[in-house]
Amino acid sequence: MRRRIRRRYAAERRFRLLGLGAILLSAAFLAFLLVTMVSNGLGGFRQTEIRVDIDFAANTLSAASAGGEIEAAVAAAAEAQYGPGGARALSDTAWLRVERAIEDDPSILARKKALWLPAASAIDGAAKGDGDGEAEALVTRLEQDDAIRTGFNTDFLTGADATDPAAVGIWGAFKGSLLTMLVTLAIAFPVGVLSAVYLEEYAPRNRWTDMIEVSINNLAAVPSIIFGLLGLAVFLNTFHLPRSAPLVGGLTLALMTMPVIVIAGRNAIKSVPPSIRDAALGIGASKVQVVFHHVLPLALPGILTGTIIGMARALGETAPLLMIGMRAFIATPPDGITSPASVLPVQIFLWSDEVSRGFVEKTSAAIIVLLAFLLAMNGLAIFLRNKFERRW
Amino acid sequence: MNSMTDTVAATPLRNDAAAKMTAREVSVFYGAKKAVDSVSIDISQDNVTAFIGPSGCGKSTFLRTLNRMNDTIANARVEGQIVLDGEDIYAPAMDVVQLRARVGMVFQKPNPFPKSIYENVAYGPRIHGLADGRAQMDEIVERSLKRAGLWEEVKDRLQDSGTALSGGQQQRLCIARAIAVDPEVILMDEPCSALDPIATARIEELIHELRGRYAIVIVTHNMQQAARVSQRTAFFHLGSLVEYGETSEIFTNPRVERTKDYITGRYG
Repeated sequence: MRRRIRRRYAAERRFRLLGLGAILLSAAFLAFLLVTMVSNGLGGFRQTEIRVDIDFAANTLSAASAGGEIEAAVAAAAEAQYGPGGARALSDTAWLRVERAIEDDPSILARKKALWLPAASAIDGAAKGDGDGEAEALVTRLEQDDAIRTGFNTDFLTGADATDPAAVGIWGAFKGSLLTMLVTLAIAFPVGVLSAVYLEEYAPRNRWTDMIEVSINNLAAVPSIIFGLLGLAVFLNTFHLPRSAPLVGGLTLALMTMPVIVIAGRNAIKSVPPSIRDAALGIGASKVQVVFHHVLPLALPGILTGTIIGMARALGETAPLLMIGMRAFIATPPDGITSPASVLPVQIFLWSDEVSRGFVEKTSAAIIVLLAFLLAMNGLAIFLRNKFERRW
Repeated sequence: MNSMTDTVAATPLRNDAAAKMTAREVSVFYGAKKAVDSVSIDISQDNVTAFIGPSGCGKSTFLRTLNRMNDTIANARVEGQIVLDGEDIYAPAMDVVQLRARVGMVFQKPNPFPKSIYENVAYGPRIHGLADGRAQMDEIVERSLKRAGLWEEVKDRLQDSGTALSGGQQQRLCIARAIAVDPEVILMDEPCSALDPIATARIEELIHELRGRYAIVIVTHNMQQAARVSQRTAFFHLGSLVEYGETSEIFTNPRVERTKDYITGRYG
């Protein structure tokens, strides 16, 4: 008897330890992921800049100068200041900043002016402690001249994709993701919720509705690449919608998200006690009034949870978007849902594929942005859910 | 025993001058199963009518045909005729929503909406457009809660959730909610079965007070309750109406053997 009790306690303890171990293991994985991402990615938010003194008066630049002329003038100034190879210390797109400076203040064309220009990827790496001997030597020299600094990289948060890792920005992909998610939400949420309401509250129980139910459950399990092919065939080839656009990406992801919302919505609606429906019907509410005044408000927290799960999955989805051309190199942020765009996960995929070392930290930085986006979205949804739950 | 018949005394009390509802040969099927078999009965305006009988005898099912709540059950089918004030309530022209406003219902388990007490009562008048403006709505809510005997207990906390009340208060709130749309008939489906004896006594008192203003039909398991609150009693068994008459008659001098056996506790 006593031995049995001891064995029972031992079993309890064993089980508790196993559970604790499982939690610790997943926490360790999460910590590993976060630490790697943050330690690699934080550098991506910082950009090394080099001071270049440009004597605009000595050049023949004007406000109407072509890009090539400015580029040549900047290169010449850098060579003059830092010797041969000085031009290569600057990012390929450094002249763009000079052009902007001229636009902002045309009066500098008549004088000599010191400008902070983004450093080339190799110099940037060396300044952050990860470069080859040649670059490090240059950095040491620049530091003696007080001509190098590392600051917050606003260009990364406001720019779009570029060939030079020092010049890339995440805003283009971020905006693309945002627009795509808006399209997805605008399509998938109403259609999903209405389907769930119809199936639960109106549809008769027969072979047809059984078949629809099975189809929806299967649809939720279909691999996402298949939805990409479907989007390619239907939206691009049949309806000739613009390629690489958030509109098409959103529609494709909506197809994928809808079944998740329908299933979650049906479960939420099913869990509303029938006595509430009886109560409303019993005082003469119509079916629509029962659904919109009582069932949906009570089911909303559950529906929102399902929507968060579906949208979070859609936000991280890459494969279907590759199929509809969102992997193109797009150097300007999208203007609207019909202009070409990329999205965060695809951008991460593209950057992780690049050979240049400078892209490593940019990839990690992009992952941080994606995770932050995801957290913000989930946070908003949880806030909404709690708000609706409190009302009752 | 021979002096009593065991055949169904389907002859309803027809001498009722004020029959509010009349049912003629009403049968209800769930799929192929017959739950109610050819019931004919007159529901009086001025009296409380009690339906008694053992579990599964069809009394609740029949009650739900009186305001067509059975419509919500997918495979339920009703045959026969039910007339409310001369109107056939199963006629195609009958608007179910309006019917349910005229024939209100109180359920077995108190089921207030998860909203404020005020909103619970105001919901019915609002969807039927019974109140012009806030002041009139306040008046309806107050009157309904007073009639349901709940006003004194909740008048200072009308914005509290209806689900925070005790079981008996919740049931009176449900009665107030039913009264608020000014129905002609109130159907009560075992309204006290989930309540303690004190709350039950409050509800029974309330039924007495409401009598005359509304035609009341109450389904109950509890024979003492039927004897206390009703003036007419109908005994259902195995889907049929076995006997219907004055409550005092049914309980003291039943004409049918099965009724007597049930009332004296031989089964049930």
